[in-house]
Amino acid sequence: MDFGSILNALILGISIASIWLIAALGLTIIYGAAGVINMAHGEFIMLGAYSSYMLQYYVGVPYLFCIPISFVIVALVGLVLERGLIQYLYKRPLDTLLATYGVSLVLMQGVRLIFGSDPKYLAVPEIFSSNLSLGFVSISTFRVIVFGITALLVLALWALFYKTRFGVQVRAVMQNKEMAASFGINSSRIYMLTFALGAGLAGVAGSLFGVLNIVLPTMGSSYVVQAFLMVVVGGGSLAGSVVASGVTGELQSVFAFFTNDTFARFVIFVLIVVFLRFRPQGLFAQAGARR
Amino acid sequence: MLLNFDNVSSYYGATRILRDFSFEMEKGQCLCVLGRNGVGKTTLMRTIMGLTDRSTGSIRINGEAIEGKAPYQRATYGIGYVPQGRGILSDFTVRENILLGTFARKDKAPEIPEICLRIFPYLRDNLDRRAGLLSGGQKQQLAIARALAVGPQVLLLDEPTEGIQPNIVHEIGEILQMLNRELGISLILTEQHIKVARKLGDAFLMVDNGRVVARGAIAEMTDELVEEHMTI
Repeated sequence: MDFGSILNALILGISIASIWLIAALGLTIIYGAAGVINMAHGEFIMLGAYSSYMLQYYVGVPYLFCIPISFVIVALVGLVLERGLIQYLYKRPLDTLLATYGVSLVLMQGVRLIFGSDPKYLAVPEIFSSNLSLGFVSISTFRVIVFGITALLVLALWALFYKTRFGVQVRAVMQNKEMAASFGINSSRIYMLTFALGAGLAGVAGSLFGVLNIVLPTMGSSYVVQAFLMVVVGGGSLAGSVVASGVTGELQSVFAFFTNDTFARFVIFVLIVVFLRFRPQGLFAQAGARR
Repeated sequence: MLLNFDNVSSYYGATRILRDFSFEMEKGQCLCVLGRNGVGKTTLMRTIMGLTDRSTGSIRINGEAIEGKAPYQRATYGIGYVPQGRGILSDFTVRENILLGTFARKDKAPEIPEICLRIFPYLRDNLDRRAGLLSGGQKQQLAIARALAVGPQVLLLDEPTEGIQPNIVHEIGEILQMLNRELGISLILTEQHIKVARKLGDAFLMVDNGRVVARGAIAEMTDELVEEHMTI
């Protein structure tokens, strides 16, 4: 056990953390702003991966452009879903749980019908599949890209929520829908836009995960659990998800360094359960009377 | 007429709180809505904003029917709402709370109007303080400043002096009088303090059991009326 490999584990931890986080970003926004527990989040991720696959395979779009276009495509899917279904269910949170679960099944089977159950692959430029080496540390270039995009998205979301008029409206609706409405804010429109934004973020995650893993109709189900854990541990706020993912990623990497990956995941899940036993509201609980 | 209520009934669930409520109010007036607790004063305010579950009848502002409009649309008719309990967003700073009012402005100007800070120097000096940390009186000032940021033609003030120290009650009374007399902003206020009502009001509306039982100029508000409908 030398210094170099521990440093390597820590850096790998940051990379794992950014994967946990980017999977959770969209869910955090939707849950935090609209209070909807979106069970179809994993399938939004899957749709992001398939969008990139389609763009690449049928249209020939270079990979880096697939990421923002996947954002737009999945955001539009989210928009349609919100207008067509979710908007009628905001007053019935348990029903949204069931409805979005149903939507997730429809999306999964729909994709399976169109693309079949065999795995698809996303091609990335040669340079992304190489390894970056710096002294003791060696990490794949693509993981650095994932980290970079995650960091960029967190920064952009922070600016959107805390530096713009739109952000003031979202946070006002989150705290007190009635007062927000009394001062001219159309909460229905805000919910619609945040839902689309959250879906789009899942799309970005999907187009990245499609490179880290194979693309399958069922790929969403593993990410959705991970994403939910981060949202619950973080308490539903952006900062909460960032911290929760950071700590979880590092712990997982360090445990995996001393034991193995499976055992590390086991320990992480046990720790999360214990944590929630003592702090069920999560790291940064949100105040406010939603509805 | 600034505001017309014609046979308005308003409901929470299946319960009718306001019954066949009719009154009108002229521009520039200060209308005091009086009555015991639980007779529907707050519901009247919420009905104007469209926050009850359902209402029937006709509500007009400057002759324009608003009964079918959503709350966020009604706000843009120049209604500044100061609710009971003040409705301050405690996670927001003082500045953000005041800026909330600007979303209902016609011009959508994203700046805090100068008047809000001129009247309330405390707010001017604490713009970046978290609103949840303010005292009750300060929160009331903030709620009024936020409603003023709408650029309102009428302010709805639901128990503006409730739970506030006596010296600040006087101060808020002065400020409301100034807004009404000097800036020409119409006021509708519910009030428990008869003295404040007599001092500020031009007209009154006595409410009992969800109905208007008496209305007129404030001078016509006799002690007998107060006795009958307000003493417990």
